[in-house]
Amino acid sequence: MERTLFGFIWRYSKRQQVIILAMTVLSFPILYMSLELPKWIVNDAISGTNFPKQILGLSLDQIPYLITLCLIFLGLVVLNNVIKYALNITKGVSGERMLRRLRYMLYNSILRFRLSRFRKVSGGEIIPMITAEVEDVGVFIGEAIATPAFQGGTLLVYVIFIFAQDPFLGAAAVSLYPLQAYVIPKLQRKVIRLTRERIKNIRTISDRISETVAAAPDIYAHDTSRYHLADLSDRLFLNYRIRLDIFKRKFIIKFLNNFLNQLPPFFFYSVGGVLVIQGSMSFGALVAVLAAYKDLASPWKELLNWYQNLSFVSVKYQTVVENFDVDDALSYDKIRGLDDDGPELTDRVLALSNVSASAGGNGQEVIDVTLEAKEGAHIAVYGRDGSGRSELLMTLAGLIDPVAGRATLGGQRLEDLPFGAISRHVAYVGNDPYVFNESIRNNVVYGLKTEQKTSGADDLTDLRQTEAALTGNSLFDVTARWEDHERAGAETPEELEERLLDLFALVGLDSDLFRLGLASNMPPSTDRDNFIEGILKVRSEVMRQVAEDEKWADLVELWQEDAINNSATIGENTLFGLPADPSRKVWDCAADAPVQDALREAGVLELLVDMGAEVAGTMIELFSDTGADASLMGDFSFLSPDDMPLFEGRLREYRSKSASGLGAAEQSAFVGLAFRIVPGRHRIVAVEGETADKIIAARKVVHKHLAKREEYALLDPAKYVESLSVEDNVLFGKPRVDRRGARDKIDAFLRDTIAQLGLRGRISQAGLNFEVGVAGGRLSATQRRRIGLVRALVKRPAILIFDAIADGDPALMDRILQYMDGDDRTIIVGTTDPQIAKLMKTVAVMREGQLVATGGWDSVQQLAIDGAAELEKEAS
Amino acid sequence: MSLDADTEALRKIPLFRGVDDQKLRLLAFMSERSRFEAGETLMKEGDYGDVAYIILSGEAQVLVNSPSGEQLVATVGKNDFVGEIALLIDVPRTATVRASTTLVALAIQKEHFFKLLTNFPDMAVEVMRALAHRLERTTREFGRLRAAVSDG
Repeated sequence: MERTLFGFIWRYSKRQQVIILAMTVLSFPILYMSLELPKWIVNDAISGTNFPKQILGLSLDQIPYLITLCLIFLGLVVLNNVIKYALNITKGVSGERMLRRLRYMLYNSILRFRLSRFRKVSGGEIIPMITAEVEDVGVFIGEAIATPAFQGGTLLVYVIFIFAQDPFLGAAAVSLYPLQAYVIPKLQRKVIRLTRERIKNIRTISDRISETVAAAPDIYAHDTSRYHLADLSDRLFLNYRIRLDIFKRKFIIKFLNNFLNQLPPFFFYSVGGVLVIQGSMSFGALVAVLAAYKDLASPWKELLNWYQNLSFVSVKYQTVVENFDVDDALSYDKIRGLDDDGPELTDRVLALSNVSASAGGNGQEVIDVTLEAKEGAHIAVYGRDGSGRSELLMTLAGLIDPVAGRATLGGQRLEDLPFGAISRHVAYVGNDPYVFNESIRNNVVYGLKTEQKTSGADDLTDLRQTEAALTGNSLFDVTARWEDHERAGAETPEELEERLLDLFALVGLDSDLFRLGLASNMPPSTDRDNFIEGILKVRSEVMRQVAEDEKWADLVELWQEDAINNSATIGENTLFGLPADPSRKVWDCAADAPVQDALREAGVLELLVDMGAEVAGTMIELFSDTGADASLMGDFSFLSPDDMPLFEGRLREYRSKSASGLGAAEQSAFVGLAFRIVPGRHRIVAVEGETADKIIAARKVVHKHLAKREEYALLDPAKYVESLSVEDNVLFGKPRVDRRGARDKIDAFLRDTIAQLGLRGRISQAGLNFEVGVAGGRLSATQRRRIGLVRALVKRPAILIFDAIADGDPALMDRILQYMDGDDRTIIVGTTDPQIAKLMKTVAVMREGQLVATGGWDSVQQLAIDGAAELEKEAS
Repeated sequence: MSLDADTEALRKIPLFRGVDDQKLRLLAFMSERSRFEAGETLMKEGDYGDVAYIILSGEAQVLVNSPSGEQLVATVGKNDFVGEIALLIDVPRTATVRASTTLVALAIQKEHFFKLLTNFPDMAVEVMRALAHRLERTTREFGRLRAAVSDG
C-alpha cells in the first residue's frame, strides 16, 4: 500500500484527476465570459451607438441586440453552473470511489493479519480508522490536484501581470512569499504532530468505550464505574488540550498569513508613490498593480487552505495506513481462494516434524514436537490449558506457522498452502468458536460459504460489478448464493436441511432446537407453505383431541368463534385477534383509530368503556385507597403509580358524563384497561350473558374493519397467525387459567402430538431461524461450542480437529467417532478429560509445550495422570 | 365468579378475622382461582409448598401416610383453609389433600401474602393476633390432655 497520500492518489486516480483539471480549465473562459458580458451589455447595448450591429451575420437594432446579449448572458450563467455541477459531481464521485478503495484495502489488510497480531490490536482502535478517520481523505481527493493547479495558475498569471507592469513592484509583491513559504510549513509541522496525537487519543477513547461495553458485568461487579468515568474524563481533557493547541497554531498561521499579505501594499503606497511622484512610473500602472495585488489575495488564500488541508489529510492517511501495512502480512495467495481443486496432495497425512511454534505468550507455545496423523488416525492431544495443547492443534490446522521444523499436509508445508486448500480437508473448531450475530442456521452453514455459487440476481448486479471493478473492490456478489450444499454431501438444499437436523441431534442440541422452534415466531423461510400446512394439521388434531378427550378440554380453552375465552384477555376476545407485531400488546391497540372505529360501529365501545371504568375504579380502590406502595402496584396493578391520579380524574369525568360523553382519548384509555382483563383470572368484570353475546357479535364487525390491515393478525382456525409463536399456533387456544400446571401438561401433550405427526423436524427447522444475538450472547457457552462443531461436521471433513468441546460428554465423543467412521477420516481431539482420551486410539500427552508421551491410553495413562498430579504439587 | 364472593370467603377465615375489607379484597385480587377434579391432589405430604387454598366449593380428603398406607384423617369442604402453614414457614406439607369431588379453591401464593404483610404492618399484627389465639387454644388443649394423661 502507498505510504503517502499523493502516492495513493496518483496511483489510483490519475485519469480522474486529469479530467477534473480539464473541466476546471474549461470552466475558466466561460466564467471569464460571464463576467465580461455585463460590461458589453452596459457599454455597447444600453449606452452604445451605431446601430444596427452585426452578430453572426445578423444585423440587430438596439433592443433586439440588448435582448440577444442578455440571452447569451443567461445561457452562459446556466452553462457555467452546469459545468460547476458536473465538476462537483465528478469530484464527489472520484473522491468517494477512492475512499471506497481505501477502506476496502484497509479491510483486506485486516484479513491478511496473522492471528498473533489480532491479540495485539483491538476492534475499538481499528474501527475508527476505517470508518471516521479516512472520511476526510475522500473529500480531499477531488480537490487534490485541481485546486493547486487552478489557483496556482491564477496566482502565476497575476504575478506575471504585475511583473510586466513594473519588475520592481512585482518583486515587492512576491517579496514575502519566500518568508511565508518558510515559516508556515514550520508552524504547520507542529500542528501535524498534534493532529497525530489527537488521532491516537481518539483511538484510545474508542478502545476504552468498546472495552466498557465488553466488560460491563465486571465493572458493575467491582463497582469501578467511577474509575472508568475518571479515566474517560482524563482522555477527553487531553483531547481538549491538544485541540486547543491546534487551534492556537492554526490561527497564528492565519494571522501571520494575513499580516504578510497586507504588508506589500505598504511598499506599493510608499515606494510606488515615490516612483510616481518622481515620474519614473505612471499613475495608471500603480493603480493596475494595486488592483492585481488585491486579486492575488484570493488564490493565495485558497492555496494556503489547500496546503493546510493536505497536511491534515495526509497525516491522517499515514497514521491509518501505517497500522495496516504490516511486514508480516499473509500473502494474497493465502486468502485468494482456489481456482480449481487446489494444489495436488499425495495423501491427507498431517505431520509435524520437530516443530516449534508460538501463539504469542508464555505458556502458548509448542516446543520441538514431532507427531504424525495418518489417514484414519484417532488422536487425543491430552494436556491442561497452558500445556501447548491448543497451540498444537492450531499448528496442525495451519493457523499458527512454525518458527522451526516442518508442518505438512500431504507432503506440502502448511504455511505454503492457501487457507482454501487446508480447509478443504481440515475442519478446525477451537474451544471457543465465534458465533456470528445471525440465525443459528447461517452460523452452521457458514463453513459452506467459501465460494460464490450463483451469479448475482438482483437489478443492481451490473452496477455493483462495474463499481467494484472501478475501485479495486471484491468482484464477488454477496447477494448471490454462497451456500454450497454439495460440499455437505447434499444433492439439494432440502437435503442439507435434513443433514443439519441430523447433526444437531448428533451434538445433542436437537431438543434445544425443538424448544426454540416452538417458541419462535417465524416459520422457516424455505418451504413455508408446507410448514404452515403441517402446523395447521397438528392444530386440527389438537382440536379434535380436545373435543373428544375431557382431560384435554379441561386444560385448554380453545379459541371459538361463538364463545368467550375466559383465559384470554378481553382485548383478544373482542378483536378475536391480536397485533401483528409480537412486541405490541393487545391493549396497545385500544388507541388505534381503526380499532376505535370498529368498536364504535360494533356497538361495544360504551360497554368496554364501562368495563374499563370498573377496572379503573377497582384498581384505585385496591391500590391507591389502601396506600399500597409502588412495588406492590408495579407487580399487580394495571395502573402504574403515575397513572393513578390520571385515571382518578378520568373516572370523575366518566361518572359525571357517562361513557358516550367522554372524549376519544379518555374512551380509548378505558378500553385499553378493559382489554387487559383476563375474565377467568381477574374476576373484576364478568363476561357472561348479554355482555358476552355483545362481544361475540362485535367480532364480525371488527374483523370486517381490520381484515385488510397488516397491523392486526386475526384469529381463524384455518389460518396460521404469524404473530403467535409456533406453539401457540398449534394450540390455538389458551391454557386454562384456573388449572395449575396446565401449561406444562399441555407442552408434553403437544410434543407427543407433533412427534406423532412427524413434524418434529419441521419445528426444529424453525428453531434454526433463532437469532443468536451479539457473539451468540443468547446461547449458552456449550450451545455455542456445539454450533461450532456442527459448522465443522457439516463439511464432512477428511480431518477433524477440535479442542475440548466433547470434554465431560464421552457419549458425544462416541457419536462423533461413529459419524466420522469410514473413508479413513482422521480425528484429532484436544482434551483435558481422561474419559475422552480413553476413547481414542492414540493419546499424545502435552506438558509445558512439549510432547512427553505418545501411545495408547493404557501406556501413557501413568504419565498423563502423574504429570497432572506433579503440576498440581508444584502449583501448591 | 367475582372478587366480592372471594373476599367474602376470605373474611370467614379465622386467620384474617381482624383484617379490614379493602385489604382482603386486595388479597383476593392477588390470589387465583384454581379448579381440581375429583382425585387430583391439591398438595402432597412431604413436598415443600408455597400455596395455601381456601376451598370455595367441593370437598377434599386430608390423608396422612402411615405404614399401612394412606389414612384419612379429616374431610374438608367449603370455607376451609388448607396448607396455610406454608404461607408462614418453610416446612414440608404435613398431609396430602386430595379432591373427592370437583373442587374450586382460592389459591394464595406465599410470596404475594408476604408482600401484603410487609406493605401493611397492621395486617401483619392482625394475623399475629389470630395466630396467638390459636397458640393459646392449642396450649390449653395440650395442658388439659397432659392433665388427663397423668390423672389416668
